[in-house]
Amino acid sequence: MKIKLKIKRSAPLNESEPFFQAFSIDAYEGMTVLEALLKIADEDDPTLSFRKSCRSAICGSCAMTINGHARLACNTQILPEIHKFGEVILEPLSNHAVLKDLMVDLAPFWEKMERVMPYLTPPDAENTAKMTSEDEAKIDKSQQCIMCGSCNSECNALEIDEHYAGPAALAKAWRFIGDTREGFAEKRLDKLSTEHGMWDCVRCGHCTQYCPKNVAPLKAIELLRSRAIKLGITDNHGAKHALSMTNSIKRVGRLDEAAMTFKTLGFLRSLGMIPFGIKMELHGKMPLPLILPQIDGMDEVKAIFKTFEEKDKNKEDSGGKS
Amino acid sequence: MGCKCSTTKDILFFQGGFLVTHDVIIIGGGIAGMRSAIECAKAGLNTAIVSKVYPVRSHSVAAQGGINAALKSTDSWSAHMADTVKGSDFLADQDATEVLCKEAAFDITELEKMGAIWSRDENGNVAQRPFGGAGYPRTCYLADRTGHGIVHVLYEQIIKHGVFIYDEWHVVKLAVLDNAARGIIAVELKTGRLHRLRSKAIILATGGYGRVFKTTTNALTSTGDGMALALSAGANLMDMEFVQFHPTVLPRTGILITEGARGEGGYLLNSKGERFMEKYAPKAKELASRDVVSRAEQAEISEGRGVDGCVLLDVRHLGAEKINQRLSQIRELSINFAGIDPVEKPIPVRPGAHYSMGGVMAGIDGQTNITGLYAAGESACISVHGANRLGGNSLLEAVVFGRRAGQATEAFVKSTTLGDFPDGFLSEASFELAGILKREPSEPAYIIRNEMTVAMEEHAGLFRNKTGLEKGLEKIKELKERFKKAGLTDKADGFNSELLAFLELGNMLDVSETILLGALARNESRGAHSRTDFPQRDDVNWLRHTLIRNQSGELHLDYKNVVITKIKPAERKY
Repeated sequence: MKIKLKIKRSAPLNESEPFFQAFSIDAYEGMTVLEALLKIADEDDPTLSFRKSCRSAICGSCAMTINGHARLACNTQILPEIHKFGEVILEPLSNHAVLKDLMVDLAPFWEKMERVMPYLTPPDAENTAKMTSEDEAKIDKSQQCIMCGSCNSECNALEIDEHYAGPAALAKAWRFIGDTREGFAEKRLDKLSTEHGMWDCVRCGHCTQYCPKNVAPLKAIELLRSRAIKLGITDNHGAKHALSMTNSIKRVGRLDEAAMTFKTLGFLRSLGMIPFGIKMELHGKMPLPLILPQIDGMDEVKAIFKTFEEKDKNKEDSGGKS
Repeated sequence: MGCKCSTTKDILFFQGGFLVTHDVIIIGGGIAGMRSAIECAKAGLNTAIVSKVYPVRSHSVAAQGGINAALKSTDSWSAHMADTVKGSDFLADQDATEVLCKEAAFDITELEKMGAIWSRDENGNVAQRPFGGAGYPRTCYLADRTGHGIVHVLYEQIIKHGVFIYDEWHVVKLAVLDNAARGIIAVELKTGRLHRLRSKAIILATGGYGRVFKTTTNALTSTGDGMALALSAGANLMDMEFVQFHPTVLPRTGILITEGARGEGGYLLNSKGERFMEKYAPKAKELASRDVVSRAEQAEISEGRGVDGCVLLDVRHLGAEKINQRLSQIRELSINFAGIDPVEKPIPVRPGAHYSMGGVMAGIDGQTNITGLYAAGESACISVHGANRLGGNSLLEAVVFGRRAGQATEAFVKSTTLGDFPDGFLSEASFELAGILKREPSEPAYIIRNEMTVAMEEHAGLFRNKTGLEKGLEKIKELKERFKKAGLTDKADGFNSELLAFLELGNMLDVSETILLGALARNESRGAHSRTDFPQRDDVNWLRHTLIRNQSGELHLDYKNVVITKIKPAERKY
């Protein structure tokens, strides 16, 4: 079947404007995007640049934006894409600078990895502690990451803050913090609780949705956050925000949005939010600064909290299983 | 913390023929390369890895089934050694095999200390599964992604120990003067510039050359670069004719289905639904050594009992739960690349090129015949695999001999002074590269590559004979001539993927020639080398290693005796 593949072409160092180029290829049953790219590079245009290696979804080289979302070229088949979208559009990963065509600069990606100290630091250098299958299950998902960069490409928080650690590095951080042999989990969590760290995630869920290996980075971020709160690492906006949210619900069964600003930022900093507050008021978006009445059915809310608190007592982190 | 610098961006100031000096340069960032780097960096050496891909992209990451080690009291290193030597069809050097099997348990523990996790049995011990050619279930694993687990743990450690990474750099020349390694010349793919990296020692860990064959499990990057570099620098290549064809490979894509699928109890069936391995290996059946199973499959297919050029791998009887737990990647790969869910249907598989038993001749500490040049992993031939490697022994070799090469390098570097790096190396390499970029190509290189892979599969595949091998050799020589006139459409300096592919093709043509030469000379059948015109093993004339050396442009064959210490060669039956 003859199909068209549209590829976004960019010259190195943005020497010229990017443009879309269409290639016509004979697609066969089972043909992958990577196979199509290899064919084009051989027969049509050897100047086409893209990364590739294992072609079996384990090396993480060939992540790119395929019909709008980050995926691996090697395990995405052409014909189902055509049937679904009518075309195949290939672009480089988002949230990364383009080097050429479908290749992006991954240096910031690796730097983010390095910043979370991606290696086990056991309390005793000999590291003689043994793990059980249950221990391993807690970090197994994070451990399956292939570092393709798909999650970071789809991350909404990274889009507005390039310094944000990002889902890939945070999932990696959980791989160590969740490891029973790790000796410095608390220190690590302390560091991750600072600006650009784990509390900057907006929980949109894209990382988990587009991860080609089911690593579920959002789950890892949630585990990091709850572990930090349990260890009392709460002197930061993120933890305060989460705690005040919980308290509000526990107290009245709903969000006391006005009070949350004060509880998250503290009184003085909240004053700085006044201009923003005025803008919100003008748009009719200001929540009532009054004391909110309890919702009906607080008994149910209380029961839910009780169930969770008991569950928590019975077992520590539920692990990487979502 | 971490790496002093891991990106090419930070070293741009070295551009323009500047010379950077390290104590040791490791070419290749897979398991052997990273394992040796850790050893060097831990010892305080200024250590750099140069690789055409970022380390975690290396093909070691795709290893599935596991890594062998005698861990239990009912098993022993000597039993592991006996299995390995028998699997090798008695061509393995037994001193080296002894080191491999003796140190296996130590290295499994070392990996665990670094942070590796393993699949575990009900008692919490490292689980071990049966593998081909092994008399005991001694293959440790992490589900069916053991290589991925090990690669990422080693990557973590190279970051921890501050190993300098030159990623997306391709090495074009080993600088060897007076039979001593002086450093390398590499092209930085981002800019297309050539750089000189000077060092006291070099460790080659570039992996295999599966891409010289049409059907291969290997990554697109497995192009035998290190072997070709070593050959042109004057190192000996050993036993290049021994190519392992893995029995269970998906058709068309060549994607690997782990031996673990059979280790967990999977059957191989022909078109009549018979477990045909009962006929070829009555005792071991599906778990005979890989050469035996691959040949049996080919025989079934050739005799008309195949299914569309394949046989069937049936794991349905293991049940969905076990498949999801132990073989989840296999299930995913089968669904994505063959459109078949192994829970419901048997997987069509066929033999495909998988592993190179041969490589750069190296001793048990990785030393080659060039001073300061070491080799480890698949690119080396220490000879622990002889004529046929057992599944689960390649990761082990990479880890054990990667570590040992690192340790030996440390001792060497500490007792050596830095040699000169004459300018001539750079000008020669520049001249060559400029020539490739400038000339008007008579034909595109991919045509030559495709003809090479077809010729190698046809003439140097599972079954070989004199006429075929001669034809193959003639073909490769013709392709080499055409390659000299071929060139590039892309004349750009930076991100020139076509240039990289061209340089890789040059390496593959060199490697192909050595495979054919070795195979043509070896008038016997042993392990993976199966000559239809010489169907018997011939210990009288051929119980010896093949050496190939480049002497001023001509390839010369030589032979070396096999080291036999404990186990006498005997007939091999499974």
